[in-house]
Amino acid sequence: MNSPTVIFYIGPLGITSIVVTTWGIMLVLGVCCWLATRRLSLNPGRLQAMLEGVVSTMEESIQAVLPGRAQELLPFIATLWIYIVIANLTGLIPQLHSPTANLSVTAGLAVLVFLSVHWFGIRSDGVRQYFKHYLSPTPLLLPFHLISEVTRTIALAVRLFGNMMSLELVALLILLVAGLLVPVPILMLHIVEALVQAYIFGMLALIYVAGAMQSKQSEKGNNL
Amino acid sequence: MDFDWTTFILEIINFLILVWILKRFLYQPVLGVIAKRRAGIEKTLTDAQRIESEANELKQKNEQYLINWEAEKEAAQAQLSAELAAIRESKLQALDTKINEEADRRRVLNERSRLNFERLMEEKGIAQGAAFSNKLLSRLASPELEARLFAVLLEDLKNLREQDKHAVTEAAAEPELQIKVQSVFSIDQHMRDELSRLLNEVTGRTLPIEFHINPELIAGFQIDIGPWILHANLRDELKFFSGAIRHAG
Repeated sequence: MNSPTVIFYIGPLGITSIVVTTWGIMLVLGVCCWLATRRLSLNPGRLQAMLEGVVSTMEESIQAVLPGRAQELLPFIATLWIYIVIANLTGLIPQLHSPTANLSVTAGLAVLVFLSVHWFGIRSDGVRQYFKHYLSPTPLLLPFHLISEVTRTIALAVRLFGNMMSLELVALLILLVAGLLVPVPILMLHIVEALVQAYIFGMLALIYVAGAMQSKQSEKGNNL
Repeated sequence: MDFDWTTFILEIINFLILVWILKRFLYQPVLGVIAKRRAGIEKTLTDAQRIESEANELKQKNEQYLINWEAEKEAAQAQLSAELAAIRESKLQALDTKINEEADRRRVLNERSRLNFERLMEEKGIAQGAAFSNKLLSRLASPELEARLFAVLLEDLKNLREQDKHAVTEAAAEPELQIKVQSVFSIDQHMRDELSRLLNEVTGRTLPIEFHINPELIAGFQIDIGPWILHANLRDELKFFSGAIRHAG
């Protein structure tokens, strides 16, 4: 895999094709959502029904993991799912590469998940209570908690990056070895993999955030 | 597998912006319309539950009304039955009274019919007896009987009561009065003179006397002095006899 090309510079910052692709995805998503939600009615058409189905499904998934907090987590988790699906599928478009096949992008998403875990945990339990759960059930486990926090973040980034990068690489190798239409089944596998990886990333992020927000409740349950 | 810090930082910023964009243009509008529809559905459900509760309440009221109505109907039926029984009883009593009255009336009518029949039979018997006597006396009528009755007549005229004499005198006071003497057989001059003398003596006047033959008298005489009439014949005696028997019956 080649390194992403720097398209232009903003001052000292080199804007790569990955960032430009991401902006394109943001633009398309923003415009499509604006167009689709301009005239919502109580009697939905097909497009509105599909949108409501997608949003409701994501909300119910979050609700199943963290009852009562779905409205709070929906923007972050649902955006993860939507962005990663779109970003993964962008690789199927000729001349474009999946942003998620770049470690910088997946690392950024993983860092966002890492930070959001603490953000939502502190908002839910308070700073003292939240950090206290690192010392439970015994302070001896604090190193393991810290290692777990770091490793699962790295695992999030590397898992998504590895899967998407490998899919593109395999498709490229098969194209080079076997010919023009042979990688088509691999590309179909790419679609499935894109959906699965997006679901896994978002669901793991949801579980991590839910774990941080439920630490207080679990502690209360233990005290009972 | 190069790691580009610029891309890393920009991706974080980009994602946060995308979160805001999707929240602004996707999640909020869609969740808003879903919430609005849910509120509408809940309102419809609430209204439906309210309508159902009202319907149940109305149903209970209706059932209660039906129960009350049934009770009132039974009470009215009982009252009507009692009134009908009372009316029937009174009608039966009135009918019994009427039947008894009708029976009494019938009995009275039967009694009256029986009495009428008996009286009719008696009258018929009397009439038959009178007819028989009349026939028998008609056969027995003779100048001898006539003479005997003439003697009775003279005796009756002689023995008139004072009130009869007064009545004869008053009757004979009419001007141009003519005494009419009827007999079955012709009477001789001697008897006529004897009778004229006695009549003049009774009336106190000398009145002209006509003598007539009337076979219907059977035997005897009839003397008309104005309105006063002396019956001394068998026909009138039989009439008197029959009348006396009727009055006696």
